[in-house]
Amino acid sequence: MGERKGTSSEMVQGTLEMLILRTLITGPAHGHTIAHVIEHGSEDVLEVEQGSLYPALHRIEHRGWVTSYWGTSENNRKAKFYKLTPAGKKQLTAETNRWRRVVAAIGRVMGEAAE
Amino acid sequence: MNLKRILRRSREDAELSQELGSHIQHEIDDNVARGMTPDEARRQAYIRLGNPLVIRERVWETNRIAVLEDLWRDLRYAVRTLTRAPGFTFVVVLVMALGIGANTSIFSFLDSLLLRSLPVSDPDSLVVLKWHAKSLHSSGQQDFVMESMSGGTDDDPKLGMTSGIFPYPAFELLEKDNAVFSDMFAYCRSREVRTLNVVIRGQAQIAGGELVSGGYFRGLGVVPAAGRMIARDDDRIGAPPVVVVSHAFGERYFGGSANGAGQPIVINGLPFTVVGVAPAEFFGVDPSTAPDIYLPMHTNVLLGAQIPFGFTSADYLGANYYWVEVMARLRPGVTLQQAQTALAPRFEQWVSTTAHNDAERANLPALSLQEGASGLDTLRRRYSKPMYLLMTLVGLILAIACSNVANLMLSRSASRKREIALRLSQGASRFRVIRQLLTESVLLSVAGGLVGVLLAVWGIRVLTAVLSEASHGSGLRADLDGRVLVLLVSLSLLSGVLFGLAPALQSAKLNLVTALKETQSTQARVRHSFWNARGTDVLVVGQIAISVVMLVAAGLFVRTLSNLQLVDLGFNRDNLLLFQLNARQSGHKDSEISGFYCELQERFASIPGVQAASLADTSLIEAGDGLPISVPGKQPNNDFRFFPVGPRFLTTMQIPLLAGRDFGDQDRPKSKAVAIVNEEFARISFPGENPIGRHLYMWKESELSRPWDDKNNIARDMEIVGLAKNANYGGVKQKIPPVVYLPYDQGYPEPAEMVFALRTSSYPLSFVSSVREIVHQMDPRLPVSEVRTQRAEIDASMHQEIMLAQLCSAFAALALTITCVGLYGTISYKVAQRTGEIGIRMALGALRGRVLWMVLREVFALVALGLAISIPVSLGTSKFVSSFLFGMKANDPLALTCAVVILVATALSAGGIPAKRAASVEPMSALRHE
Repeated sequence: MGERKGTSSEMVQGTLEMLILRTLITGPAHGHTIAHVIEHGSEDVLEVEQGSLYPALHRIEHRGWVTSYWGTSENNRKAKFYKLTPAGKKQLTAETNRWRRVVAAIGRVMGEAAE
Repeated sequence: MNLKRILRRSREDAELSQELGSHIQHEIDDNVARGMTPDEARRQAYIRLGNPLVIRERVWETNRIAVLEDLWRDLRYAVRTLTRAPGFTFVVVLVMALGIGANTSIFSFLDSLLLRSLPVSDPDSLVVLKWHAKSLHSSGQQDFVMESMSGGTDDDPKLGMTSGIFPYPAFELLEKDNAVFSDMFAYCRSREVRTLNVVIRGQAQIAGGELVSGGYFRGLGVVPAAGRMIARDDDRIGAPPVVVVSHAFGERYFGGSANGAGQPIVINGLPFTVVGVAPAEFFGVDPSTAPDIYLPMHTNVLLGAQIPFGFTSADYLGANYYWVEVMARLRPGVTLQQAQTALAPRFEQWVSTTAHNDAERANLPALSLQEGASGLDTLRRRYSKPMYLLMTLVGLILAIACSNVANLMLSRSASRKREIALRLSQGASRFRVIRQLLTESVLLSVAGGLVGVLLAVWGIRVLTAVLSEASHGSGLRADLDGRVLVLLVSLSLLSGVLFGLAPALQSAKLNLVTALKETQSTQARVRHSFWNARGTDVLVVGQIAISVVMLVAAGLFVRTLSNLQLVDLGFNRDNLLLFQLNARQSGHKDSEISGFYCELQERFASIPGVQAASLADTSLIEAGDGLPISVPGKQPNNDFRFFPVGPRFLTTMQIPLLAGRDFGDQDRPKSKAVAIVNEEFARISFPGENPIGRHLYMWKESELSRPWDDKNNIARDMEIVGLAKNANYGGVKQKIPPVVYLPYDQGYPEPAEMVFALRTSSYPLSFVSSVREIVHQMDPRLPVSEVRTQRAEIDASMHQEIMLAQLCSAFAALALTITCVGLYGTISYKVAQRTGEIGIRMALGALRGRVLWMVLREVFALVALGLAISIPVSLGTSKFVSSFLFGMKANDPLALTCAVVILVATALSAGGIPAKRAASVEPMSALRHE
């Protein structure tokens, strides 16, 4: 019982936030869709822990990167939609750049090691 | 904005649960679309998402300023929990308040005694000049450069002799060309000024004075409340006589301090002018004295000329006469150490020139500088030891209080196991549970602290009364100031955290499964296992041990006090009125003083209800003068004491005569010189002989030569006319010395201030107005001072013992009460836990007596353990208080026995209540209780 550990490390947390922002670039979506888009987009390699999704959504909402509104979903159900704000777009660009640099750096390291 | 967020919280939370609900619905839709049954679809959806409650919790955690909001929630919850257990809350708050209140009031006194600075500008740069020499007591050495003195020295056989009095030439020497001090000043509270007869607008009163050098006020940086302070020019022989009065004195006698400056004032018959009034907060440099009137140093020549053995201008030159106290202010940037290094050789060199022989040269006083910020240490010397003792005792009380509260919290958290387990299983983090429990304990201790403040305010008032009673309003003041308050608050918070932490950690370590499954009876079984019970039992044993130690201390002090009160004084202390008159100070001349006193004595004796009246040089309790007295043909014995008295003194004091007669009206100034000796004197000087009719010589004291065989130096040749039973001389604790009583008016030494004693038939103070009326008729310039009963004077001389006995008894009672509350709580708790078990035992035929014994056995075990620890501790530590004891040894068996009996009795009655409750358990209702 007690506190869940593991999912709250900063790297993973930041990454989840980045993925959420990336998902929203195509237009507003609700939490369930976001989870699905990430999972499908990664060809089911990434499994979004749904328990972490909502805290992350609320966190980025409080940082002003997304706004939310209640709407009707494709299943005709009431759902809370999240929409990217200009600040969120800027944050996504910054995050993406940072991510690319990291991936490139890791790639270089791994590539050298392979040769 | 953050606050708004907190307030909006429940709305946001509702929205979040809606959102999570919507998520679940979408997930179910998807799962159904994949072909699951609706039930399976729902189940899988929940499994994927996890516990919505936990998610909500996590969202809150990310969304807010967690600390503030949690605190608010914890606080509200804590208040609710605590008000649900009012008995527990009451006891805990009370115990905390008692501990904190007692500590704070004692600390306030320690603070005002030991820590507070003089109310002058930049007190930290002040230094006090002292000197140090080898002890004279231990070496038996007589020769010392300080051949005569006025003031005090502190001679400790181990630490040596220290004093703060110097010859005036030494002060002048050090003041001259001084590179380390910016100011240096002297002051002195000599016999000439200690009590002054002051006449203002025709009204006479007594005031306390202090001699100060011209640089005193400037050096201290005192800003006058009115007029000006004494300056250098005022302090020389022949200057116009001026004084400065204290603020309180100005308020009282000049109708406001602003009116004081410029007023004429008559002191001991001499005209002075008040040039200024000191500020209200200024009390001089010694917190114990607080003078009314400050006089320029050199006025002591004027005042000294009026009394026998008074100060003369030649004393200013005496290099072997030690009398002025000296303070100085360091120049900026100069350290105490540098000043010491600069001045010590100068003083050493000078003092070596004042030595008259090799013995004196072998033990020269060495200068030592001390910090002066907190002023002189008279009060400190008198009260710091008992204060530290009291501080230790109240510290122990705080320890008991804290451990008691910890104990209660432990018991309580044990009974809240299930509640806590429930909260943990609902997903609360251990940290949150600990924090909640800590909040409760801190809240409790804050409440305890607040009530403690009230108790402290009250305690300070009581302590002030106890301490200053009889010490003649010695300027001992204490207020609850900011620093003490800060200490108090941190004390209560600290104890809150301390006593809250252990139970909190313990309860957060719970094994949930067993805790949730526990019923009361299974819990009792777990509880009763040896190691689990340990924590609270150890605390109770510790409290019992501390209580015993405090009871022993109280017993020692109470016995000391009763020993003192049972001392046979040799005279009757009841119904005796004492007061002081000083005819010389109000202008009477030696030639007629005796007649004047005689007439007063007769008129006092004729007051209806007064059985006898007499007078003496001082009161017997305060007596302690020696002049060279010898049996003809022998050297004067330094142990002999003399006591000038008036006619019928022994009759008035009811000191029994063993032979001969009391002094009477026939013993006049011009008649044959007579004396009465006490038994002790007769035993030493005339062993086995009848002293009546023998002669005694009293010699004139002369400083330079001591020709004991020169008959011209005989001041009185007295015939012994009476032998008196031994009577106390110089204080209740003193061994009775050999005493010679002699008529006060038969020549050298001339009488000065006299203490009148009236033996009354009823309450002595009811005669005061008749006394004042008679004195006023005889001489309106003559004030009656220090009116007191003999009993009150004796009590005053024992006020430290009275204080210790009262406070220690109170503290011991407090400790005992707290301990009993703890014991009662622990035993009650155990009984409650074992109600089921007891019910079963009784259903199976256990007798009530057996059940009673089963519980009492535990009480006995705790008490026995406590005693086993505390008795050796008491025996070991009571020697630390032996200097406070009188007429007994530190390891007094009676005090120890009493302490043990009291403790066992109260502990058994505290433990007996729950034991009886256990014995009256109805088996059926106890079993149904499950």
